[in-house]
Amino acid sequence: MDTDDSPWEDNATNVRDSEWSKISSDFLNAGYREGITAGKESALQAGFDEGFAETGAPIGRSIGLMRGYISSIIAFLSSGRSLPSGVDAGQLLGEARAISGALGDVRFSDIAPPDLEAEMHAREHLGEDAADVVTSEELQEKKDMESLEDLMNRMGAGSSSRGQEKRATMDDVKSLQTRLSVLAQTLGLSLPLP
Amino acid sequence: MDFDLEDLVHVEQTFYDEGYTDGFAHGRIHGLIEGRALGREKGYEMWEELGFYEGFALMWRAVLEQHGSKDDRAASNITHLIGLIAQFPRINPSSTDSSDLDIPKLFRQIRSRYKALCATLGVRPTLRAAGAQDGLDDPGDSPAGASAVAGQSVWKIDKQPPARVTNDLSF
Repeated sequence: MDTDDSPWEDNATNVRDSEWSKISSDFLNAGYREGITAGKESALQAGFDEGFAETGAPIGRSIGLMRGYISSIIAFLSSGRSLPSGVDAGQLLGEARAISGALGDVRFSDIAPPDLEAEMHAREHLGEDAADVVTSEELQEKKDMESLEDLMNRMGAGSSSRGQEKRATMDDVKSLQTRLSVLAQTLGLSLPLP
Repeated sequence: MDFDLEDLVHVEQTFYDEGYTDGFAHGRIHGLIEGRALGREKGYEMWEELGFYEGFALMWRAVLEQHGSKDDRAASNITHLIGLIAQFPRINPSSTDSSDLDIPKLFRQIRSRYKALCATLGVRPTLRAAGAQDGLDDPGDSPAGASAVAGQSVWKIDKQPPARVTNDLSF
């Protein structure tokens, strides 16, 4: 400290500096808060449209198509309509139901590709309010519901294997698609192209 | 006094603007991420259900053709059903102002047509189509309880940019 300055002077400078930095940070923060809200609202729709068109709709459709195919095949096999000769309806029905069950267990959250930007941004937030970075209330509810389902499966299934299974992956979906296709071929059909 | 009030007011505005700009950029990232998460869910939900009807119809068409079926009612239901599904947008229609599609109505028509097809085939329709009759939400555990729920929560997004709020584009 400069001994020429009186303590009084020194103190006044400090007070002024801290007032100054308080004012500046108050206004920076106020602006930041308003800005983050406005920025978020300005981008929600664009994000929604992107997620809908590029990820949700195409993946949903491909899963839906497979579920539709298998539902149709099960109905056909159960309908008593004539089958190609040498085909055992009962056995095929078993395979069809197995495929159908496995498809029914597939969740979007199992197979959706990660949102890399979201993950990257969440990492930037580490140490801050990381928990509420990307999760909207509604999606959180869904996640909670899914883990509740898992829990009930585990309790209800007991020793049966079903509840213990790992979550499906995109590879599992692909192999189900192959089984589905083989099944259709056995029936003299090919999977129709949408 | 070593400052006058004018300067201070101006300086406050400068700080505010600086904060606003930074916040806006950060907010955009969050908006994109959150919007994308919602859009993915809704897109999946709707198209999983539609894909189901589509796959069901296409597979039955193949079966009927294989059997040389003369079931004209089933064939016509299949054609109509596929035609309706083809009208359904694969991108969020609110982002293209080209159409006046009534999405909930189209969804109802698709479900009804699917159930009509099931009836002609003598097949029990899936529970998820139940929404077409009572207008209630899907009672089952199907992942595709799209109609009412999807309409509302997608709508929530639309509400934020007020310019986009229209009555007939509900998502």
